[in-house]
Amino acid sequence: MAKHAMSRCCRLAAALTFVLMWSGAFGAMAAQSWRIDEAHTSIGFKIDATGFPTTRGRFRHFTGRIAIDFERPAKSSTNFTVVSASIDAGSQSYNDFVKSAVLLDVAKYPTLSFASTQVERLDPRTARVSGNLTMLGVTKPVALTVNVETDPSAKGRPVAFSATGTIKRSDFGMIFGLPLIDDTIEITVKTRALTDE
Amino acid sequence: MWPLPLRLIHWISAALVIAALGLGTYMVWFVDDPAARFDLTQTHKSIGVTVLAFTMLRLCLRIRTTAPEAEPIAPLTQLAAKAAHLGLYVLLVLLPVSGWLMASTTPVRIPTRVFGLFDLPYPLGPDLPVFRFFHAVHVVAAILLAGLVALHVAAALVHAFCWRDRTLRRMGVG
Repeated sequence: MAKHAMSRCCRLAAALTFVLMWSGAFGAMAAQSWRIDEAHTSIGFKIDATGFPTTRGRFRHFTGRIAIDFERPAKSSTNFTVVSASIDAGSQSYNDFVKSAVLLDVAKYPTLSFASTQVERLDPRTARVSGNLTMLGVTKPVALTVNVETDPSAKGRPVAFSATGTIKRSDFGMIFGLPLIDDTIEITVKTRALTDE
Repeated sequence: MWPLPLRLIHWISAALVIAALGLGTYMVWFVDDPAARFDLTQTHKSIGVTVLAFTMLRLCLRIRTTAPEAEPIAPLTQLAAKAAHLGLYVLLVLLPVSGWLMASTTPVRIPTRVFGLFDLPYPLGPDLPVFRFFHAVHVVAAILLAGLVALHVAAALVHAFCWRDRTLRRMGVG
């Protein structure tokens, strides 16, 4: 089970890595092969509330895939699917609450998914990946900003990526707790890629 | 001496009230971990529901019970003691009830699972202004109850160690 989850974790991280590569951020290194540091990949979120500590959590199970066209980046795509019930917000009882019908409603909507529609290079180390996020059966456009946090040209060294973005949960029909629980959810995807060379 | 059931309820309530006040203060001011806060809030609410249940039982027993004879003290002191006891009873009802109504009216309406055994029914629906009102009531009532508990303990100690009368014995101590 854990091995299977790791494998899915790798695929997602690989997808994010390749998104950056075909965005032009690493044109010279596109041919390099990378492997993902599974222990350093996570899909996390953060949400603030009034009168309650900021909640930070992560999803432990996810899958992803990538289709790359290095010649025509606009033809490339990536998508990933997150298992809603794999959320970890810090304790079993808190997880059960977040998984309940008023929030993630995992019984009715077992997955969250993202499918990219466009990749735009912002600067040599940053790209904007636009796509559609489906949550609670509602699909809305979202954009993630992907940053390269270490020097990708330093061969043999791991390269860390982070993707961040925000969503308005009310756009997806998740209105529980408004306005005491913020409408904005911050999403962070972190991964680290290793070159085999 | 007060009858045994009332004495037991008094001491159990004392422990529960101190636990609820302490836990409520601790979790709000010192716990930054949301999952821990979530779990502690459930425990706090469970204790509060238990306090309310004991208080209702206590009031039922109290109105059927004749109080043991009081020690001879100054009329003004006697009046102050009666006012303090009345205040304690009022707050022992008001504090858990205001908490219950907070949990009912908050937009963050989380089931109150009393010690994991059953869900407390909610008499009102989510309403932010009403929640804020009951929140204010709960906070003020908690401060007043903490003050009255401190006064109550201080008075008991004065009876026991300064005036050396039998007041504390009526509650089974000494």
